[in-house]
Amino acid sequence: MDLHFTSEQKAFQLEVQEWIAKNLERPFTEEVKDPKHDADSLVEVRRNWQRKLNDAGYLGQRWPVEWGGRGATEVDEAILLSELARADAPNIPNFLGIPLLGPALIIHGSEEQRRRFIPKMLSADEIWCQGFSEPGAGSDLASLRTKAEPDGDDFRITGQKVWTTFGPWADWIFVLARTDEEDRHGGISFFLVPIDQEGVDMRGLKQVTGEAEFGEVFFDGALAKREHLVGKLGEGWRIAMTLLGFERGSSTLLNPADYERQLRGLASGLRENGEIDRPDVAERLGWLAVQNEVMRGNGLRTLANIDAGMPPGPESSIEKIFWSEFHQTMTDEALDLLGPQGQLKATSSHARPDVDWAYQYLWSRAGTIYSGSSEIQRNIIAKRVLRMPTAK
Amino acid sequence: MRFELDDDQALLRSSTRELLEKEAALADTRAVMEEVPEGFDKNMYAQLGELGYMNVLLSEEDGGLGPIAFAVIMAEMGRVAFPGPFLEWVTAIRALSECPDTSAKEWLAKASQGDTLVSFALAEDVHNADPAESQVAFEGGRVRGTKVFVPFGEHAQALLVSTAQGLALVARPGTGWNSTPLETLDHAQRFVRIEFDDEGTLIAEGEKAASVLDNARRLGALGASAAMFGLMERSIENSVQYTTEREAFGKPIGSFQALQHRAADMLLKSESTRSAAFRAAWAEENGEEDADYLISVAKAWAGPAGRYVGGQSIQLHGGVGYTWEYDPHIYLKRIKTLEQFHGSNRWHIQNALRQSPIL
Repeated sequence: MDLHFTSEQKAFQLEVQEWIAKNLERPFTEEVKDPKHDADSLVEVRRNWQRKLNDAGYLGQRWPVEWGGRGATEVDEAILLSELARADAPNIPNFLGIPLLGPALIIHGSEEQRRRFIPKMLSADEIWCQGFSEPGAGSDLASLRTKAEPDGDDFRITGQKVWTTFGPWADWIFVLARTDEEDRHGGISFFLVPIDQEGVDMRGLKQVTGEAEFGEVFFDGALAKREHLVGKLGEGWRIAMTLLGFERGSSTLLNPADYERQLRGLASGLRENGEIDRPDVAERLGWLAVQNEVMRGNGLRTLANIDAGMPPGPESSIEKIFWSEFHQTMTDEALDLLGPQGQLKATSSHARPDVDWAYQYLWSRAGTIYSGSSEIQRNIIAKRVLRMPTAK
Repeated sequence: MRFELDDDQALLRSSTRELLEKEAALADTRAVMEEVPEGFDKNMYAQLGELGYMNVLLSEEDGGLGPIAFAVIMAEMGRVAFPGPFLEWVTAIRALSECPDTSAKEWLAKASQGDTLVSFALAEDVHNADPAESQVAFEGGRVRGTKVFVPFGEHAQALLVSTAQGLALVARPGTGWNSTPLETLDHAQRFVRIEFDDEGTLIAEGEKAASVLDNARRLGALGASAAMFGLMERSIENSVQYTTEREAFGKPIGSFQALQHRAADMLLKSESTRSAAFRAAWAEENGEEDADYLISVAKAWAGPAGRYVGGQSIQLHGGVGYTWEYDPHIYLKRIKTLEQFHGSNRWHIQNALRQSPIL
């Protein structure tokens, strides 16, 4: 066993910390609280932050050098993301484009596609959203029905996508669409589609938080050019699946760092309201701290095994269930321990200064649904890890 | 970075598993539990002594194998619910090795053989986190006072007794201990309450005594966490096997999603315990500053996790899971014992919080 970072990794961590201290004007929670901002200007805060990260060479750092890479490993990526979370840095607008579409283009895309799309994706001049889920195809993604039909050399896309995160601000969408009705997996292809065109109707989808960061998008004969097909016809499912496994290490330390920051905020709230020394309160706070540290242990284990070149174990489904359900547990507890103050919106007078608890509480309900619901993860564990029998 | 065991640790794991599967299978555990008054197989412990297992916690030059190897052994023992005072015994050996007193050295040599049991007498009726507040006194060469839940105390040849004056070593008096059995829900345990009025030797005082006891608590908690992982891992294997073989409504019951999701939750708890316990063992082995913190994190997590896995293992077995004949109860009971000793859940939560990065 060896759970130490190497001296290079430690140096990188220090470098990132120093860079953040110098470049991050203030935590994102403070931006959200600033009355001068609205949803659009917060997107600009995030866009500017992405540009700074890109200028410093931190985006796509694991990619080939010509596409912005610097020979970084998954451990470096995990370090970068955890330090950004610890500092409450803004999430970048292309947080889906860069880890998902970037590798898709590098591995499966054409040279022209890479040249056309990667630089603007990194610089946030073009914002990307993901068109995978549909109203009738969530956990069972392969049942998707949005179709792409040939139109001369090109394709026309018809159908509906939903839960398109950042859709309302996106310029482009990467879409899984059906090109063969008969072949469930082999009949799916991967297209790049501009949003600003006739035949694409992007609408904001208001979430339980009251914001519309998600979108739903209606395609009615939208044009997808032949040169914007990624890979070959029918390769879409395979491409999508390799992408989902590509980034398995990078978030391992992010959630524990993010939750640690939030728990620190909870502790200061309890110090200020005078309750932290109550034994029952301290025990509940301590139990949250213990669970977060156990989660970090799982993350370190995954990361260490990736670093040692070992095949994926049962960890990734376990981690997904753990972080998403613990986020609910933690925010449930925080809102209870803080009393009504915990329910104040960040923009409200007298809200906690360091954590947007009301948002976190509501947002935590999404984590157990997106990116493979808890139920799907439990199916995966039971079937693929425990090898429990399948009903005949 | 690497989480998985190194080659020699992996070898220790496979050889320990082989030894225990052969010499201490669950049928033997049952026989010991039901028929052997001492609660452990003396020949088996003598064999462990011969093979060097009893010295696992000593320094390397004295035959120690290090905290990771210790966790490996404890996890394997958990898998077969290995009966008896192994954890107390090896932590007592470690404690004796830290005391310069000559009688400590003599007992250390004997205990290392695996045929002379030295156990701990720590708990009292009133819970005192601080050993210095003990109601048990060492005065005029005698230990006086009452200790409770002394593990396997009746058959111990010597006991390490925490007193207000320090750590005392008391050899078994010729007339035996003045002890009363305390029968807990775990039929494999042999706890006693002992009223001491016996000659003894103070082998550590003041800060030295505190540090010896602290080390014993910390290593005991690490061992208990690893053992609970092994207990959970095997409980899950048994449950999956049972639900695969058992059919109802014309299908293996393990194909029902309700049971599959339960089993998935059990694996989440168990694998998280593995991560936490071995991460803590690694920290202890490397003298990391946060080793004590990480051990408390592991122990605080392992108890409730183990309770869940042990309980659900009975549930997945259905009616037969509630019978004496089937094994799940043996696992749940051992977990319940380990959860309460080497620091309770509450104690470890507090100890972790005190050192947590969130404060």
